[in-house]
Amino acid sequence: MRTDGELILLWTLPVLGIIWLSVFLLFPGFVHPMSPTMSAEEVAAFYRDPGNLSRIRYSMIVFNWFAVGLIPFLALIVMQIRRMAHRTPIFSYSMIACAAGGPTIFLLADLFWLLAAFRPERDPQLIQLFNDLAWVTFASQVGFLIAQSVILALAIFLDRQERPVFRPWVAHFNLVVAVLLIPAAFVGLAMEGPIAWDGLLSFWVRNIAVGVWIVVMGVVLGQAIERQRAEDEAMAT
Amino acid sequence: MIRKIAWHRRYDEKRELWIGWWTLVVFYNLYGLLFFVIARTQPPPPPSLEPSEIVQWFADRRSGLLYGYAIISIVGGATAIMNATLAYTMRRMSVSRAFAYSYLVIYALATLPGMLIMGVVCTVGAMRPDRDPALMSWLYDFAFLSFEGTMGVFLIGSLIWMGAVLLDRNRVFPKWFGYLNLCNALTEVVVAPAWIYKRGVFAWDGVIAWWINMAVFVTYTTVFLTLLRKMIMREDSGTGPLPELDPDRAPEPGGTLEAAR
Repeated sequence: MRTDGELILLWTLPVLGIIWLSVFLLFPGFVHPMSPTMSAEEVAAFYRDPGNLSRIRYSMIVFNWFAVGLIPFLALIVMQIRRMAHRTPIFSYSMIACAAGGPTIFLLADLFWLLAAFRPERDPQLIQLFNDLAWVTFASQVGFLIAQSVILALAIFLDRQERPVFRPWVAHFNLVVAVLLIPAAFVGLAMEGPIAWDGLLSFWVRNIAVGVWIVVMGVVLGQAIERQRAEDEAMAT
Repeated sequence: MIRKIAWHRRYDEKRELWIGWWTLVVFYNLYGLLFFVIARTQPPPPPSLEPSEIVQWFADRRSGLLYGYAIISIVGGATAIMNATLAYTMRRMSVSRAFAYSYLVIYALATLPGMLIMGVVCTVGAMRPDRDPALMSWLYDFAFLSFEGTMGVFLIGSLIWMGAVLLDRNRVFPKWFGYLNLCNALTEVVVAPAWIYKRGVFAWDGVIAWWINMAVFVTYTTVFLTLLRKMIMREDSGTGPLPELDPDRAPEPGGTLEAAR
């Protein structure tokens, strides 16, 4: 099988990383994350502010294009799970299910943000409702991200061959990331503090964990694909 | 001793399947606990509540909703491994892979409208009890209609499983289970009037739309978990017909728990 195409998909990852980082910086509600304590009037004023409105719209339009951009990368992980010494395709199937579910959630949050920004002159209560739906969807729905890390870790632990596809530390790293994502699920419980959707654990730790996961997995996946190519070439000669 | 070693090798080979089976058993029980006891959104409240009663409904179970759906957000991704295991049963059958793939994708996307959106909406409703009652009423409808009124994914998913079981020559599941899938599919048909009626048997809390459907769903789930366990015990990791279970070589019941770890 030709793996050139896999290299192309892999190199979409740094491009995607730059785009996601740009969206993060462009959206005015992220760098100083919007507080859940803002009143309906304050939320409406935030969306109505001409300085904010175009930045909200442009950043979320870009995010609408690229929210699902991680799927090819997850598909590459599926390809590596298939090379592991398993007896059933259950882990690769599970990863495909995560690839279908997780990005859809990001897309849904994006829709709520764009809806809030579409007619900011609407009743402030409605703007606040869309804003709440967007933030709670974005922050609390960590289930598929946790699942993909745990499934990958399990798949690595059960990959019992002389030269496993990923080394055991990748499994441990994935479990640590999964644990760091857990507090974000509780955003509904606090308006202030580390658990609130703008808080240290739910916003910063979680988003940085996702960012670090993408970088680390990008590197180890790149190494695995390179090794696979070298092995294929050695077999061919 | 030799038997024990042989047995260990035996169950070890099936560890992926046992992980899948135990995930199914543990999470169906956990979801039952979360929806019925902690969040108390099941059995569902009536659609006919007035906005002021809906505000009270959210207030009465505020922490249950917030904690319950937070836990569902954390463990909800387990559905991936659950659906992957069920899709694998179709891979073991003598049918096209298209059946397993369709089932996997349908159920992967079903998680959102069928469960997770309800969690987001109930969390948004519970976190601001002072929200305009008219909006609380909209959130209430959104939550219950997304949960009860998501039909097509389960309808088509059950029919695909039914088709695979009926066509299969590897005897993975008995044929009657194919028809039980049809019963499950039919519950998704009779729930449709919940989108129209606010009172009576067809409403989302009614005898037909909820109670009968829940009885069928619980029967269906119990049956396929039992059949799946039998399938795993018979599994030979081959491609032909699944062998019948030899009673002498069957793993002891306690072994399955060990295998799951």
